[in-house]
Amino acid sequence: MKLSALAFGASALAMASAASADTMTVGLVGPLSGGAAAWGSAMKAAIEFAAEDINAAGGLEVGGKTYTIDIAAYDSHYNPNDALTAVNRLVFEDEAAFIVGPLGSAPLAALVPTTTENKKITITAGFTPVAAAPEYPYSFRAVLPTEVYAKPQINWVVKSLGAEKIGSLFPNDETGQAMSNDISSAYEAAGADASAVEFYERGRVDFVPLLTRLLAQGIDTFELDGSPPQTAGLLVRQLRELGFEGNIVRTGGDATNDILAVAGPDASEGLYVHMEFDGGLDSVQDYQARYIEAYGGTMNAFSPLFYSNINMVFEAMKAAGTISDADAIVAEMAKISGYEGPAGEVSWIGEDFWGTKRQQFVPYAIGKVTGGKPEVVATCTVDACE
Amino acid sequence: MDITTLLVQSGVNGLVIGMMYALMAIGFTLVFGIMRIVNFAHGEFYMAGAFIAFFTYAQWELPFVATILIAIAVVGIAGAIIEWVLIRPLRTDELTGMIATLGISVVLQNSALMFFGASPRPMPEVVSGLVRMGPVVFSWSRVFVIVAAAFVVGIFWLFMQKSKTGRAMRAVAQDQEAALIQGIDVGRIYPFAFGLSVALAAVAGALMAPVFSVSPFVGTAPMLKAFIVVILGGLGSVPGALLGGLLLGMIESYGATFLGSVVADMLELGLVIAILLVRPSGLMGKKEA
Repeated sequence: MKLSALAFGASALAMASAASADTMTVGLVGPLSGGAAAWGSAMKAAIEFAAEDINAAGGLEVGGKTYTIDIAAYDSHYNPNDALTAVNRLVFEDEAAFIVGPLGSAPLAALVPTTTENKKITITAGFTPVAAAPEYPYSFRAVLPTEVYAKPQINWVVKSLGAEKIGSLFPNDETGQAMSNDISSAYEAAGADASAVEFYERGRVDFVPLLTRLLAQGIDTFELDGSPPQTAGLLVRQLRELGFEGNIVRTGGDATNDILAVAGPDASEGLYVHMEFDGGLDSVQDYQARYIEAYGGTMNAFSPLFYSNINMVFEAMKAAGTISDADAIVAEMAKISGYEGPAGEVSWIGEDFWGTKRQQFVPYAIGKVTGGKPEVVATCTVDACE
Repeated sequence: MDITTLLVQSGVNGLVIGMMYALMAIGFTLVFGIMRIVNFAHGEFYMAGAFIAFFTYAQWELPFVATILIAIAVVGIAGAIIEWVLIRPLRTDELTGMIATLGISVVLQNSALMFFGASPRPMPEVVSGLVRMGPVVFSWSRVFVIVAAAFVVGIFWLFMQKSKTGRAMRAVAQDQEAALIQGIDVGRIYPFAFGLSVALAAVAGALMAPVFSVSPFVGTAPMLKAFIVVILGGLGSVPGALLGGLLLGMIESYGATFLGSVVADMLELGLVIAILLVRPSGLMGKKEA
């Protein structure tokens, strides 16, 4: 009896070792709770769908081995310290093949030296230029940053909506400061006055005093960019509660569904929003249906963008024949062109901005919320919205 | 916007947020005054009140008065049970009791996260529309918070002053041993006081839920403010909590409107330090013997 139990234990151990040898862990570090949870959940869904697809197809074949995908997910709380702790665990304990995340400039700036030193590819949504800087060659970005879309989109807002005096509120951290600079510069360059800027601590829910301060400066347009989805919804609601009748614009970072949910359709009517892609595409509709079936609620537009970028890493691994040689995988990533993701055809851009090409691009749009839904009013390239 | 408009607008804004802080802080300071325990889970009872409001008012479409009464009953009874089961055995050691409330806070917040998810849930307004008085504009939903919170504070004050249980609670807060000699059943007062304290937090959560939306994390910021308020007003002093709450709301509102939020935050904490230096027991607190 003892001998058979021992034999069973030994064989189970052997099977477990064999299984773990063919398992690839992909890390996730993003805000899974708090005001930015909508974005973190979108990232998590993307890696879960990608892993589900690969595992259902029998695994990922790389260099003659077949890997099933395992996910190690950590909540960054949109906080640099927590993000860095999570990345250390992913690099040294979980030995993740690559990392999805982080979200936000401050968490990215905190952890990118670690991921670079340990040659870990990251698929991020941090809007800081650090994400695409030449000294961090393993950092890819799935979502367009303010720096890219601010100019064409804000030119359209100033020209088409006649915006003259802009008010804006940003979180009081590196992310908010970086976005404030980008947004304000773009409005000033377009000929508008963007001097009415205030900063708030993350987690704040009552913005009425700050909005009163901005309204007292005679603003005619309010810019929502830089605030997480829930906060943006509260801002819209509280602006309307103060009787603000000017245009409210969300230049970037998809939050439309959350704004509608928090502020309600009445307060959101006429809101101008950044659309990460053409929402009418069949592939996007299919992805959205899958998302809602799996998680319920509404889908944040970051999800299909991350899904594309994650699958591009898997494709690059297959082409490179390795899951561990980050340099070879990065070289193969650069060769991928015309990848058809759910959000549309993907291309790499960034040379004009940062001297690198690690920024994912899909054509985006400006929408106007009408009857509780955003409708495309202009489509955009890197140069202009028309 | 002229200066008078700004002053009036900021005053109304400060009153709304100040009443919410006062409701939170009154319950918080009540427990400290009677039990000598800092309840770190107080914010989570605010969150529980907000979720009860979400389900009863937004989902089941019950009248808002019923929502408030359900929040008081459910959270109050749950609070009393928690005190009886988890805090009572640790009463002799204040520090252990405080750590227990920290544990309760984590359990409650993470339970809400597991059952309800992290996404914020919006609620319809209890009263919709805007009040326009010349250039001054504010929403009826905020006016409703001021009136309802003032009503609850009034009822609470009457209860504490006029009812037998209220007087017994004050007696225990003043001197536990003397209260025992007078025949007050301190063992029953403790869970009742804890239940009443967290029920006040739940009322604050239910009242603010339609204004700020609902999520497992909504209690964190009001909890931190409650700390500041009770230090400002005096730990254990109910009138001090009311005064401190309104004062903090006004400082926040006028500070953020006229100086920006960064300066307002510094001003707020600077004031707390100044009060601690001049009056270590707070504005209306009593010096420890």
